[in-house]
Amino acid sequence: MILQALQALFTPISLFAVFIGTTSGVIVGGMPGLTATMAVALLIPVTFALEPLTGLLLMGGVYCGAMYGGSIPAILLRTPGTPAAVATALEGYPMTQKGHGGLALKVSVIASFTGGMFSALVLLLVAPVLAIFALTFGPPEYFLLAILGLAGIVSMADDENRLVKAIISGLIGLIMAVVGTDPMSGMLRYTAGLTDLFDGIAFMPALIGMFSISQMLELTGTKSIITDTSTITKIKREPLPKGIHKPIVLGSLVGTIIGILPGEGATIAAFMSYNIARRRSKHPELFGKGNPEGIAAAEAGNNGCVGGSLVPTLTLGIPGNSVAAALLGGLLVHGLIPGPELFTKYGVMTYAFIMSLFIANIVFLLLGLFMAPYFARISLTPTALLIPVVCLFSVLGSYAMNNSILDIFIALLCGLAAILLQKTGFSLGALILGLILGPIAETGFAQALIMGHGSYAIFFNRPQAVALWAIILLLLVPPIYQIYKQRKTP
Amino acid sequence: MRKFLMLAIVAALIIPISSLAAYPEKPIKIIVPSKAGGSTDTTARLFIKSAKKYWPNAEFVIKNTGGSGGQKGFEEIARAKPNGYTIGMVFTTQVVAHVVSKRARYTLDSFHIIGNSMQDPLIIGVPAESPIKNLKEFMAAAKAKSLTAAVNGIGSDDFVAAKKFEQQTGVTFNLMPTKGSTEQKAMILGGHIDASFMNLSQLQGQHKAGTARIIAILADKRSDILPDVKTAAEQGYPVSMTATRGFVAPAKVDKKILAKLDDLVSKVNKDPDFAAACDKAVLFRLPMTGPEYLDYLTKLQAETQKFYDMNPW
Repeated sequence: MILQALQALFTPISLFAVFIGTTSGVIVGGMPGLTATMAVALLIPVTFALEPLTGLLLMGGVYCGAMYGGSIPAILLRTPGTPAAVATALEGYPMTQKGHGGLALKVSVIASFTGGMFSALVLLLVAPVLAIFALTFGPPEYFLLAILGLAGIVSMADDENRLVKAIISGLIGLIMAVVGTDPMSGMLRYTAGLTDLFDGIAFMPALIGMFSISQMLELTGTKSIITDTSTITKIKREPLPKGIHKPIVLGSLVGTIIGILPGEGATIAAFMSYNIARRRSKHPELFGKGNPEGIAAAEAGNNGCVGGSLVPTLTLGIPGNSVAAALLGGLLVHGLIPGPELFTKYGVMTYAFIMSLFIANIVFLLLGLFMAPYFARISLTPTALLIPVVCLFSVLGSYAMNNSILDIFIALLCGLAAILLQKTGFSLGALILGLILGPIAETGFAQALIMGHGSYAIFFNRPQAVALWAIILLLLVPPIYQIYKQRKTP
Repeated sequence: MRKFLMLAIVAALIIPISSLAAYPEKPIKIIVPSKAGGSTDTTARLFIKSAKKYWPNAEFVIKNTGGSGGQKGFEEIARAKPNGYTIGMVFTTQVVAHVVSKRARYTLDSFHIIGNSMQDPLIIGVPAESPIKNLKEFMAAAKAKSLTAAVNGIGSDDFVAAKKFEQQTGVTFNLMPTKGSTEQKAMILGGHIDASFMNLSQLQGQHKAGTARIIAILADKRSDILPDVKTAAEQGYPVSMTATRGFVAPAKVDKKILAKLDDLVSKVNKDPDFAAACDKAVLFRLPMTGPEYLDYLTKLQAETQKFYDMNPW
């Protein structure tokens, strides 16, 4: 079956589909506001006209490419192309400012490649077993997972961003996440009668505002992002930082695991691996100031999500995240129903698809390595040209997400607010964490209580929940102890 | 004078007809109140494919206006210029639930109901390892202790189905609202809940694969794709509930254009290629004419109102 699958894959048309898919994925991912989900959803009607396999290969390529593509503008312009690249922006942009943009791009593409390859391998070899593991996660575990993510707020604090301020930022994020329809009772909260707010403050426009628009405002008055052009030309010779493999391995693992959990997306995967890498790093003080380890972990994390999210999609028909959901729609259109049959009766197609993910990863690796020096030159663009172009795409991207004018205002407002917060030393990373994880924590908490018929015991009497508590404590205790020690010896 | 009057009357009659005869002379926009890739979206795209057979010169474009349970899209259709070049799709129960909860800036009168096309009957699903095999055992279990049952959000078709079931059988569930079918499926397959009220298309694959079990279909007759699953009525509990997806236009569109649109939808509904494409995409057809569908929606609204009054959201 594997041989037949390889035969089906190594035909010119199939390889071409993978190549086109991946390349366009990188472009889509690189545009703020155009996401992988949107691209895959738009491709579905196109695939009606194609052979099922060709269509699948195209969608898989877009998925892989977009996950990597998002990191390019994140590193160079602090404008994440996809939400999953926010953590990359936190480390990548400071590197660009120091003139190491090319190196950051190189780290990003190698980490993305490793994460993608690892998760595809996991998907190929042990998908069914892992899918069953993913199912043991219920509402209580999702609540604790969100808490685990929120614990990362503590690691966002450093000398400049005090812990209290990081916590306040996190709370602002959580408060913003309250807007919208109450997931349990269906009541409206702080929507001011605006239909556009019924689903809450749209995440993408808020993100575009906080990163892209605030960054462009910040750049006004400078000639270009970096003035010293000498380092840009040296990219090819710059060696990879020592010890970079550790965060890459870590990110690949965390990304794949988070990806397998139904409903958890690449954004959370990237943030989780970023935070864990920060905790485990020998130089945590360098994080936030341009540490390649952070990029490595985040990018390995979000690309690790790709293969991971396909595990429950292909084996159980439960999409791991919104992109996988769109891909599932594409499978169903061709009469391919996820389940054991997909690996037996339609095995040739399924295995060809899984193996195409490896090729997609190789395609963007070559593309990224080859193009990095050219991409890096973007940071030399005069701001007079850069600011209008990026702002245009930001406004377009905010609108395109939900065809909503209100979203443009949300982006602009968030842009202004982000400038104020940053100047006063509040962490944007913490705010984003609150905004993404708030709804997950809330729904998980309420659903767990319903499940337990009102008893809080449900958070403690399940083995997975207990394991998560242990990880949360492990993440929280050391920094709190450190703060305590600092207080004692002033 | 008389001649002039006659001329004027003839002209008044002919001119609009001749301008109508040309309809559609520009692309017709179909507003789909959900994201691209969903079943309502697929319905619209398959419809366009077949509609071209009957109106070869017509162009159609789809506009996806997702979010807020379809409300944004429904409002956009109701608000659209009534020139016949914007029509849209509605799905139940959301389209009436928003009216009932007083959030909608439209009523059923804001639309001309062209007709229904698809349905997706509600089912009751349980985990594969659950001891519950049929509705009788389900009822016994529900009477012994309050079963945790997942539904899509409040006011959705699943929610109304669960409430209807409670009302007609006298049991009460420990209802768990979720973010949608993905979450419901994960909870059923993981055995975190006792049961789930959801649509047939959402769980039929898992039932076939043996990873979940559908114990009853809340419809008048069994489904062709799962002939082994008994209806609720067969098992002694005549509860029926389905989700429908139909076509509407803004209410004030010219009557003659509306007649053409009504005709188009009914022709497509009968088209064998359309039926074949729907089968392939696991969509279940339920053709209804405009008046039939309006009657259905009106009744559904009254029913939903009852549940809202008992327990508003």
